Amino acid sequence: MLFRLSQTLTDRWSRTFARTVRATYRQDEAYASTPMGRFWLWVALALLLLLPLLLPPYPMYVVVLIAIAAVGALGLHLLVGGAGQISLGHAAFLGIGAYTASHLAGPLAVVGILLGGVLAGLIGVVLGLPSLRIKGAYLAIATLALQFLADYVFKRWEAVTGGIRGRTLPPAEFLGIPLPGADALWYLVLLFAIPLFFYAKRLLSTRAGRLWYAVRDNDLSARLSGVDLTRAKLTAFAVSAFYAGIAGGLLANLYKSITPENFVLTFSIQYLAMVIVGGAGTVLGAVLGATFVVLIPEVLNAIVGAFGPQFAPSFAAWRNVVFGVLILMFLILEPLGLVGLWGRIRDYFRTWPLPY
Amino acid sequence: MTPILEAHDLALAFKGVRALNGVSFTVNPGDFFAVIGPNGAGKTSLLNVLSGLYRPQQGTVRFLGEDLSGVSPQERARRGLGRTFQNLELFRGMSVLDNVKLGAELAMGAYSALTPDTRKEWAIRRWAEEVLDYLHLAPHRHKHAGALPYGLQKRVEVARALAGKPKLLLLDEPMAGLSLEEKQDLARFLLDARREWGVTMVLVEHDLKAVLELSTGVLVMSYGEVLYLGEPGGVRDNPRVAEAYLGRSA
Ligand SMILES: Nc1ncnc2c1ncn2[C@@H]1O[C@H](COP(=O)(O)OP(=O)(O)O)[C@@H](O)[C@H]1O
Ligand SMILES: [Mg+2]
Repeated sequence: MLFRLSQTLTDRWSRTFARTVRATYRQDEAYASTPMGRFWLWVALALLLLLPLLLPPYPMYVVVLIAIAAVGALGLHLLVGGAGQISLGHAAFLGIGAYTASHLAGPLAVVGILLGGVLAGLIGVVLGLPSLRIKGAYLAIATLALQFLADYVFKRWEAVTGGIRGRTLPPAEFLGIPLPGADALWYLVLLFAIPLFFYAKRLLSTRAGRLWYAVRDNDLSARLSGVDLTRAKLTAFAVSAFYAGIAGGLLANLYKSITPENFVLTFSIQYLAMVIVGGAGTVLGAVLGATFVVLIPEVLNAIVGAFGPQFAPSFAAWRNVVFGVLILMFLILEPLGLVGLWGRIRDYFRTWPLPY
Repeated sequence: MTPILEAHDLALAFKGVRALNGVSFTVNPGDFFAVIGPNGAGKTSLLNVLSGLYRPQQGTVRFLGEDLSGVSPQERARRGLGRTFQNLELFRGMSVLDNVKLGAELAMGAYSALTPDTRKEWAIRRWAEEVLDYLHLAPHRHKHAGALPYGLQKRVEVARALAGKPKLLLLDEPMAGLSLEEKQDLARFLLDARREWGVTMVLVEHDLKAVLELSTGVLVMSYGEVLYLGEPGGVRDNPRVAEAYLGRSA
């Protein structure tokens, strides 16, 4: 009797406790729930908008490249980090977006970029089909086949792609305002990148993310929890390709001239590198990874500049080696990527000067 | 009262090994039905047939009066057939909360995944928290499921299944590997869930004593055959059970 009573009391107590805790769930579910968090979010946004005023043209060009790469990396992150699938064909989807955008350019740039994303997304579903039957290395090979097929089509379907000479684009316009240089195009890039960043975050923290993580972690349990594996996987491939298509369209409007060389396997691998270097699990990681991978050649070029132009050819040969070694180092030393590194640095300073 | 589950004359063989041989039984709403048998008796195979992972060579399964042949495992789950596994099958890289939320979607109604629905998410979260609270898992909600100790992982699996508000929950040796205290806790949770949420349960165990006093009906199996089917009270006096099962383990 007394046991029963105490049990009822503790149950009652834990319910009340849960109700108070519940008020704080809202904070978990929002992005920047604290006033401080909101403040920094606005500071970051303001900084992004002012960037072209603060940076010289070339660094600004690199920043635009980073933002575009980040959009592509976000897409691949949803697929690889989210649904646990692999793709060696991400560059092919950038290509689909880029060539689509090249046909709807200038005043139609926004429409062209969006349509490129949609088209890439639809073809992404086709790429996803093998994933319904095969996994891991076999899936990697199947996506590699798509990459090669896309290379071939980009080179040979001259009526649409301009063959190996490629296509040129007029400067993009937005609501009648021409966006000739990188600093002006930046705003068009932000128009796509910011919503896509938050959309990716939102997807991963709601139903889509749960379905994808479930497929990644345990397909048996996923099925017996009512998850439609086919649908979950194909959605992941489609969304991933959509992001790549948008990135491709933006890239075409930045380069203003595209050739099949811009969408070869090397770039697919670079996107994988961004996701790996950025680290497992977080959307911010994809952005950091994109920054890192885009900056490596820039830094190496700067080093070449410092040593003098006579060293340029030998440095160029070493560039890919340095790139490869850095990626391997991350895989071995810091599997959680830049996000993990950042977390450790932060923890270090939090406890400094008293470790533990 | 229509039975919630009717298994009729099920047979399943793997290359000569008869995992199930003419197994029939009925589970009624509100039952706490125990399936007991030594290792290799065919208990897990039986659950796999019920949840649609194995196709029986013979026999039928009816759930809520409907024939389940040709119905996919995920569709069975959506109709209210829940399941936990003997060897843990958690989403190890997901938080405890997300594991339970995924289960909760079955109960709260799914929405189109590409257009996140804040209101539905909120409802899913609230129900998931209620289940976590119920199973005393709330303090662990943000931990990775794979990082928890074994006993807690088992509990998370039960929580995930219960969050789907199944009409019938199939539990494959949920007590195995738990300490005595953990076993008692889990038994209490299960009985409470049955009473409060009206979940009918089929519980698989290899240890006869552990479940006999809790159950409303018992099926004892050995080498794919039914040794006993009926009230828990009659198990101990049954000569076939005594010979094949109790005689060996006692
Ligand atoms: N997938 C399978 N392939 C081959 N044999 C299996 C398979 N699953 C179960 N069996 C066999 O079926 C019999 C029953 O196994 P199981 O259903 O796991 O028993 P229990 O759960 O009662 O221990 C065993 O002899 C086992 O070896
Ligand atoms: Mg078993």
